[in-house]
Amino acid sequence: MNIYTDLTRRFNHGRLRAVLSSGQAVVLHRVAIMSKDGDWIIREDNEATGHVLAVLGAYGARYRFSAPLDPRWLAGGWSAHCQFHYGELRVRTDFVSRPPRLSDQELADLWAEQEGREVPFVGAKHLVALKQTNREKDYAVIGELARLLTDPRDQLLCSRSVRDIIALAEQHPGLVPELVPARPLLERVGEGPDRLAVALDAERRAMIRANEDRLRRYALAASDWATEWPDVERETAGLSLLDAHDVIRGRAEGVLPFTPGGDR
Amino acid sequence: MELRDEFLSDEDLDLRNLSEAELGAWWSLWLRQAQASNALDEQQYSHGVFTAAPTCAGLARDSNPT
Repeated sequence: MNIYTDLTRRFNHGRLRAVLSSGQAVVLHRVAIMSKDGDWIIREDNEATGHVLAVLGAYGARYRFSAPLDPRWLAGGWSAHCQFHYGELRVRTDFVSRPPRLSDQELADLWAEQEGREVPFVGAKHLVALKQTNREKDYAVIGELARLLTDPRDQLLCSRSVRDIIALAEQHPGLVPELVPARPLLERVGEGPDRLAVALDAERRAMIRANEDRLRRYALAASDWATEWPDVERETAGLSLLDAHDVIRGRAEGVLPFTPGGDR
Repeated sequence: MELRDEFLSDEDLDLRNLSEAELGAWWSLWLRQAQASNALDEQQYSHGVFTAAPTCAGLARDSNPT
């Protein structure tokens, strides 16, 4: 269909290694087209990262400022970023193996759901969690993704619509008290639409702040690596992606901690 | 008249009515048109834990990510 679906097929040749995520997955759910970059959840093993690097290398990709696409950093929640030009497109390819806000069980479920699909892309329920970023526009996307969910539990946990939540609560009154521990604002359903709207706004702002705090932790942990990066970029200029990867991996050791606040 | 909470435009939501070929064509056109902002977001990140390349690195801003 386009470069992002083509890349996804190539990444997964012979084995499921990478699931298309974020903005391009939103398109495949036919909700909206809002992103020009590609984002994948990748298996956290050397075979998967090596295969993906080989695919990207064939396109002439280079690293952007990034953690190495290496399981040791990916396991700490770091992201890896490459870029290349394809015709008139600047193609950015972003990878994580530990997407934020998904539990280990949810991540295992995500991989299990995608097994055998020609173009694996993150399902609506998990995409809701991934879209709880510090960008306001992502909450509009969540609002529509929640309407694609079929389980009323999931709908009640994910909906951004006052009207939808009240209607769901009326249709499934027994579910609300059960779900309050997971989503405290459901306790406000009986207080009317205005109070529920205030609670929804507060919930969104809290999620935005939480993501900002997470990004600050990573920015702090990457500060030495950011200082070194211009020199790393000079050293890797003109190298193939695989050769550049070896240099970047070696330079990052001891500078970029495997986990923010953790061992280097 | 029954109203419902609206999050996106009718144009966005009309993706559901497109054939596979129409979706592919519209998506490709959108990606080509979106290249117009490449110079503006050259240093920015739209996914992951980085927000900006080192030349203008800073803490979390409005440009981010999952």
